[in-house]
Amino acid sequence: MEAAQAPEARGDELLVVNDVKKYFPITRGIIFQKQIGSVQAVDGVSFSVKKGETLGIVGESGCGKSTLARCIVKLLDTTGGGISFDGRDITKLSRTAMRPIRREMTMIFQDPYASLNPRKRVGFIIGEPLEVHNLGSSSEIKMRVQELLEVVGLNPEHYNRFPHEFSGGQRQRIGVARALAVNPKLIVCDEPVSALDVSVQAQILNLLKDLQDDFGLTYIFIAHDLNVVRHISDRVLVMYLGKVVEIASRDLLYAEPKHPYTGALLSAVPIANPALGRKREPIVLEGDVPSPVNPPSACHFHPRCPRFVQGHCDVEEPPLYPFGNGHVAACHYPLERWPMSADEIRRASSPVQSPSSQSREELPA
Amino acid sequence: MALLEVKDLRTSFHTEDGIVGAVDGVSFSLEKGETLGIVGESGSGKSVTCLTIMGLNAKRNTVSSGEALWKGKNLLDMKPRELRDVRGNEISMIFQDPMTSLNPVQTIGNQLIEAVQLHRDVSQRVARARAVELLKAVGIPRAEGRIDDYPHQFSGGMRQRVMIAMALINDPDLLIADEPTTALDVTTQAQIINLMKRLQEDFGSAIIFITHDLGVVAETADDVLVMYAARVVEHADVDQLFGRPQHPYTWGLMGSLPRLETDLDRLIQIPGQPPSLLRPPAGCRFHPRCPHVMEVCKTTVPELVPTQRDPEHLQACHLDEETKDREAAKLLEATMAKAG
Ligand SMILES: Nc1ncnc2c1ncn2[C@@H]1O[C@H](COP(=O)(O)OP(=O)(O)OP(=O)(O)O)[C@@H](O)[C@H]1O
Ligand SMILES: Nc1ncnc2c1ncn2[C@@H]1O[C@H](COP(=O)(O)OP(=O)(O)OP(=O)(O)O)[C@@H](O)[C@H]1O
Ligand SMILES: [Mg+2]
Ligand SMILES: [Mg+2]
Repeated sequence: MEAAQAPEARGDELLVVNDVKKYFPITRGIIFQKQIGSVQAVDGVSFSVKKGETLGIVGESGCGKSTLARCIVKLLDTTGGGISFDGRDITKLSRTAMRPIRREMTMIFQDPYASLNPRKRVGFIIGEPLEVHNLGSSSEIKMRVQELLEVVGLNPEHYNRFPHEFSGGQRQRIGVARALAVNPKLIVCDEPVSALDVSVQAQILNLLKDLQDDFGLTYIFIAHDLNVVRHISDRVLVMYLGKVVEIASRDLLYAEPKHPYTGALLSAVPIANPALGRKREPIVLEGDVPSPVNPPSACHFHPRCPRFVQGHCDVEEPPLYPFGNGHVAACHYPLERWPMSADEIRRASSPVQSPSSQSREELPA
Repeated sequence: MALLEVKDLRTSFHTEDGIVGAVDGVSFSLEKGETLGIVGESGSGKSVTCLTIMGLNAKRNTVSSGEALWKGKNLLDMKPRELRDVRGNEISMIFQDPMTSLNPVQTIGNQLIEAVQLHRDVSQRVARARAVELLKAVGIPRAEGRIDDYPHQFSGGMRQRVMIAMALINDPDLLIADEPTTALDVTTQAQIINLMKRLQEDFGSAIIFITHDLGVVAETADDVLVMYAARVVEHADVDQLFGRPQHPYTWGLMGSLPRLETDLDRLIQIPGQPPSLLRPPAGCRFHPRCPHVMEVCKTTVPELVPTQRDPEHLQACHLDEETKDREAAKLLEATMAKAG
């Protein structure tokens, strides 16, 4: 374990995540558990989120997004690094010291069913955080819960039902209502709308935006749907195998992706138009998905990268090179423009100049 | 004979507050090698339709009627034994909630091996090899090593892929996939869809694909069924559905879509709240939210009938066809303009 660095929050930053690591031990043996390795689920992630901002996080399944989210809300202890929230270093806070902060940052869980108590009625589930934090009499709480049911598009008739009596999307909205109940400052949303039809999804996304406008809420928004991420985010962070590979403002990321992985992601978005969709040419990632137990050397993406340069990408880990306006990407041979065909991508030109020769910019945190 | 023919399927749940009519007269048929996409409002009965076909609703408070003819035999009448032989073998299902359908105290491997051995007389070793093969096919890295992990050690998307592996492990004739790729990034999603297409090519399997992702539907389905409040409101060939949608709810769906090409501060949402299934609206169930509502819509249920132009394009709306074509054209123009 490394000593946690207490990160400095600067000015308007609500959350600062500094070099956070989370390794899960792999053990064998039942009585005498022996550690034989570790899953490096999150491996040195740094970023910050301003008050009132939405940071989108995207990345391959299994790259560590949910683990990162759980570390941020302190449902998991980090293996290394530091997290500060609203000017306080929360890295080492005890359970009791964390309690008042739990009201200020809540989480919408990816697996709605697993996160809802199956034996409790929905009215109780949504009202529970209000009770825990003593936020009103029982009749006030009931009213608030009914209001919350309505804003997430559920019916008052759902108040007395159990979680298993709901559809997948309805359960997801129970999770949303629960996270909103205590008026938090930060909501970490892990796939909050993935199970919703586009209209209800629009309702929830509009709701999140309205709350942001009215109360200055801050969001971390993890999602696989790149259209949704683009709609909701101010900035977007792209992860690959436990590491940050690109961060940029929403517009820059979608218009000028620099990392080939980001390019591959953007090219793979299905289009809701059968004629256009069949013509789409996604950039196919070759090779197996690597494992976070033995990640590939240097740039983790190199075995699948269309621009891989032997002797460079597999030897020297790319830092987050700056590209102006806060856009950073960890690639020695970034994309020159966008869109590009798979063929053009393969013809990488010369490597980026060292960061010192570029306009000097501050790297995030 | 169709592979699967569903006729007037109905399912209701008896709850403390009353009877919830979750599926109300759904009919469709499916041929070998065909893919049917089901889209629709959250809570409109898509999952329950499929669970009913599979005989997987809780018996205690559920009443179902209608027919689901599988190779000519009604699944709703089958004995539990018979049904178990069909399920997981000829028909398999990828469930929407991966965590609830995986057993938390069993390793991933044991669950997959059991799925094989339930229907095949093969050794442990062969079943295990098959399990590893499938885990690799769905893109689980280091599959040999991770097969002995427990579900909680997998990420959301990895659990979903385990479910997919389990559903594919016996090369089913019909795969029912309920939101199989919601927890997956677009590149993994593409890989899974290819895997499903391969199953279709190699074994002529049919697929029912429930998804909210209209992009995925557009790229995978042959036919699409649109559900609203327990009923089918539109059913058409994929090009027809996207090219000339005929139901105001379908328009609402297509209009709500956030698209990479557009810039909107607020997404367009269908006004009003989703309907109650305890006390559904009279007439057309969409009428309280429909911008085109007429008097007749409030009292008379519109039947699911073919359009004049295309006998295969079914829709349930009282509006005249001219208005519908005009609205569909407007919507398309708007989304195309956005796509620029
Ligand atoms: N056991 C149950 N008891 C009572 N109502 C139920 C039960 N199971 C489902 N329902 C209700 O039946 C309706 C249909 O549910 P279903 O799961 O089929 O929806 P869905 O179309 O799959 O939605 P989603 O897209 O959100 O998954 C929902 O309104 C749900 O609340
Ligand atoms: N409790 C655990 N024990 C061991 N490994 C774990 C545990 N939790 C997560 N992992 C591993 O850590 C890695 C990252 O998992 P995580 O859930 O953060 O991924 P994710 O990016 O959220 O993926 P998805 O998009 O599929 O939800 C995965 O390889 C996963 O198997
Ligand atoms: Mg996750
Ligand atoms: Mg469902």
